[in-house]
Amino acid sequence: MKLIEWQEEFSLGIASVDHEHRELIELINSLHDTMRESSSTAAVLETLGEIYAQIASHFALEEKHMREHRYPAFNEHKQDHEALLDDLRDIMDEIEADGWFDEARLSQDMRRWFNEHFSTHDARLHSMLPHPTAEES
Amino acid sequence: MIRGLRLAVAVAAYAVFAVAIGYLSASPVYHYGSADMAVLKLSLDHAAERVEPCVRLTPAEVAALPPDIRQPAHCERQRIPLRLQLDVDGMTVIDIVAQPSGLWDDGPASVYERFEIEPGTHSITVRLRDGKDTTQWDYVRSDDVVLAAGRYFTITFDGTEFRFR
Amino acid sequence: MEARSVKVLLRRVFERAEAVFDVGFGRRDNPITNLGALGWFFYWICAASGVYLYIFFDTGIVDAYASVEYMTNEQWYAAGIMRSLHRYTSDALVVVAVIHLLREYSLDRFRGKLFFAWLTGVPLLAFIYICGISGYWLVWDKLAQYIAVSTSEWLDALPVFSEPIANNFFNSTTLGGRFFTLMVFIHIFVPLFMLLLMWVHVQRHAAARVNPTRNLMIGTGLATLLLSIVYPATSQGPADLDVVPVTVGLDWYYLALYPLLEVIPGGWLWVIVAGGALLLMLLPWMPPQAPRPAAIVSLENCNGCGRCVDDCPYSAIRLAPRSDGKSFETEAVVNDGLCVSCGICAGACPTATPFRRAKPIEPGIQLPNHDISELRDEVLQLGQQLTGNQRLMVFACRQTAAVPATDTETAVVSLPCVGMLPPPFIDFVLSRGIADGVMIAGCAEGDCYYRFGGDWTRERLARRRDPYLRRRVPSDRLAESWLPAGSEARAQAAVAEFRRSLPTVDGSEDD
Repeated sequence: MKLIEWQEEFSLGIASVDHEHRELIELINSLHDTMRESSSTAAVLETLGEIYAQIASHFALEEKHMREHRYPAFNEHKQDHEALLDDLRDIMDEIEADGWFDEARLSQDMRRWFNEHFSTHDARLHSMLPHPTAEES
Repeated sequence: MIRGLRLAVAVAAYAVFAVAIGYLSASPVYHYGSADMAVLKLSLDHAAERVEPCVRLTPAEVAALPPDIRQPAHCERQRIPLRLQLDVDGMTVIDIVAQPSGLWDDGPASVYERFEIEPGTHSITVRLRDGKDTTQWDYVRSDDVVLAAGRYFTITFDGTEFRFR
Repeated sequence: MEARSVKVLLRRVFERAEAVFDVGFGRRDNPITNLGALGWFFYWICAASGVYLYIFFDTGIVDAYASVEYMTNEQWYAAGIMRSLHRYTSDALVVVAVIHLLREYSLDRFRGKLFFAWLTGVPLLAFIYICGISGYWLVWDKLAQYIAVSTSEWLDALPVFSEPIANNFFNSTTLGGRFFTLMVFIHIFVPLFMLLLMWVHVQRHAAARVNPTRNLMIGTGLATLLLSIVYPATSQGPADLDVVPVTVGLDWYYLALYPLLEVIPGGWLWVIVAGGALLLMLLPWMPPQAPRPAAIVSLENCNGCGRCVDDCPYSAIRLAPRSDGKSFETEAVVNDGLCVSCGICAGACPTATPFRRAKPIEPGIQLPNHDISELRDEVLQLGQQLTGNQRLMVFACRQTAAVPATDTETAVVSLPCVGMLPPPFIDFVLSRGIADGVMIAGCAEGDCYYRFGGDWTRERLARRRDPYLRRRVPSDRLAESWLPAGSEARAQAAVAEFRRSLPTVDGSEDD
């Protein structure tokens, strides 16, 4: 069972950003699977490392689009990005220090985290961006 | 104290900059010549005779040429070198063979000389040969001139005669 | 003297001078790090004052001298000052241009792919001289007469003129106004063309600094203005081609080589000047250097976010339409001919993070000979050799004052530029306890060898420029040291100071 399911309202209308959202969801889902199948901290940390890198670059791309479109709520949105990255690092360090992970809690955190960001900031972004003509994804 | 030192360094730097620029922009003076010497300048630009004289073509030869270069005479371009001599008070100070200019040695030859000379009266003789006869000089001028210190005495050639000024 | 030792000597001289000027001017306003920009500044003042002078200058040879006399005497308070400003800023331009050339030479900042600015600088120098010499000609005073006769005789040493142009200045009867008008023309259009060449000169530098700092502009502006008021530029008596200009006050900044014409044949001076120019232009490739490999993009890890493009000081990266079919719009593309291998792009890349475990780490962009995987390995390896509870890891660039790796308490990671360090590495070292403190050691402010590495790093650490340093990184365990080369003692002191200030296990400072 997937942790997060892609929903249409996740779509921002920008093909590249949507693509990355899809990939991130896949990574988080694979993390979820890894946790359930093995109790290897190393494997979990490895996936989290990849998620971290992907999210960081995804945020960078999103910020580039926001700047290009002179998105008025840019600062707020960016602050949320930075906070999310901080949170993720906290999670990684906790697992590293403790040597184990709470599967349920981690899954919860990831899903809540992702949904929250979507339903607030990204949704606003979606509504404020001019919608380009249909792009191939 | 530290603030005073900073200010002193900055002011000193600007001062050195301004003084260096101000001073060297016009000093020290350069002595280009001697105030008590005259200067003789000679400049000449003249086309010498051609190596081969022009050959008149017969009407048949002219007709045989392509229409765009039909000339009555055929001239080889090359010129002979110019020979120039300058005597001051009987002593030869310039004795030059000037090569014609141009890629095919067909242009005028030029001579340009400049040197200091004692002021006062001098006997100046200048000779130019632009023809093939090495026994004679084609243009000669000889004069006694008074040269003033700090002034130029110039010798030019206008194609027919020398000018002393 | 071998070129290498000349460079080293020059470098020492500049380090000393920079240190002295730091005292008086402060880091950012140090004239030594603003030389090129000062050149532009003096050019503008010279051009502007020239425009003013042109209004009152009579371009005919008969009245030129009188018009300049009018400006200097009757209108001393305006045109006179403009004339002096015009002369002195043109001299200042020569001064800063030559010092700028020597400095870039001493720093080796003209070799390999950095050749472009150097190469275009040589004709720029020639143009500066043409402007200056033609300018003095226009006054048509004794100095101008000397310049006219000497320059035309020197030009006649070249086999290009069928009739010697020195004939134009032979005596007062041969003088033609036409040649003079040609000089006016040259003096107006060569500076314009020079401006174009100045623009070309900085083409390969992103956001080139063509303005000195405000304080420097005010300072040098006032200094030249004061000089112009106190020591006005004057003419040296009207030109008279029948009279020998026996003594002339030369402007040695422009005319230093002219006296040589009386000592050696003009042709030899051409060989010296042209040969010197040719040698200068060939210098970037003498001896030939193995080119440093350009940055490499990994499309697998690049989504076209553009941070590397924004950060590259040499405009060597651009965003191009996607070529691998992924749904990203763009990808980063490196221009090998422009990339100087500083690595600043890698520091900007969001995927260049040591938290990735999958080996090898492949960020969107990196230098192939200093890759991020290697950096991570080096950090881990060096960290293992550290002992105690005041372990420091120093990330230092190659150009700053050297921080020697001391004992088992300090590890030094050497980078081409501190800008290459992705900020996550700092988070990595501290959160994993690899070291107790991290220090970033780079070039002094305003003088980063690769132009922006220092600025970008400072801003990344202050969380003003992407990629932001994570907030969780404790500020008391991070130090920055920005020092010029040659200040090894200060570098040592900075490390010692940082170590002393590190919080110990119980949170207090160690005394």
